[in-house]
Amino acid sequence: MEKAHISLKIPSDVFYVDLVRAFVGKLAERLKFSRKRGADIQLVLDEICTNAVKHGSSAVTDSIGLCITVDKDTLEILVQDTGSGDAPAGGWITPERLREIEANRSPGSESGHGIFIVKAIADVHEMQCNAAGGTDVRVIFYREG
Amino acid sequence: MLPFLEVFYPQSLIVLIFYRGKVNSMSSTELMTLRENGDINIIEIKTDLSSYAASDLRRMLESLLSQNIGKVVVNLSAVNHINSTAVGALVGVAKRLRQEGGDLKICGLAENLTRTFNLIGASSVVEIYESEKSALAAF
Repeated sequence: MEKAHISLKIPSDVFYVDLVRAFVGKLAERLKFSRKRGADIQLVLDEICTNAVKHGSSAVTDSIGLCITVDKDTLEILVQDTGSGDAPAGGWITPERLREIEANRSPGSESGHGIFIVKAIADVHEMQCNAAGGTDVRVIFYREG
Repeated sequence: MLPFLEVFYPQSLIVLIFYRGKVNSMSSTELMTLRENGDINIIEIKTDLSSYAASDLRRMLESLLSQNIGKVVVNLSAVNHINSTAVGALVGVAKRLRQEGGDLKICGLAENLTRTFNLIGASSVVEIYESEKSALAAF
């Protein structure tokens, strides 16, 4: 299978995250991921995009970029936000902020679980600041079979 | 109608969705029904609980709290997806109900939803039952 790239840009609004989640679910199905792993991929995408909307942009007119790459071994998803005015320089998820979120996370917390879920489920997970002042989150899922 | 622009390249697909003001769509609350069984309110959810629907769920739960309704069962047997925002909303309301002498119990979790609850640790905070009948009986 040749490497294929899919690029999407959505408004920073959770309404559109649902649509992208459905698309990625269908893609995972076509790539013959199991139903369980397909649900995992959709959950990870939902969590990353929700964080990008909530913390990585300041207005609905901002864009969230998604780059999806498929090859014979992997499904890779890169989510890019542009950063919000409130976020510290270098994106909303600085190493310090990440440590703080993880330290404060408890089962009774209403928030702060998204990043933990992503790290627990994705085969590979990377976060880094981008040139736009936002955050890039990259996850990789190894194809099955 | 949403404006779409699709540009196809060999082995590439680029889709841009442009924002043009308020989106007119069916609210997910239309897929959340509320019914009563004695003094227990049952919320049956028939939509996936992503962040979009989670805000509607939170509003519905807040509305119950404001009406001093103390006993709630949330039936998720028709739900195929739940994210941490929605789980957080359920956990938050369950904790507030308990402080006021009530409780929120959940039933009908599919395997992948159970996994999400377990990953977060929410299954140690909120009582989860297989069926609506067993959740009701636990009050």
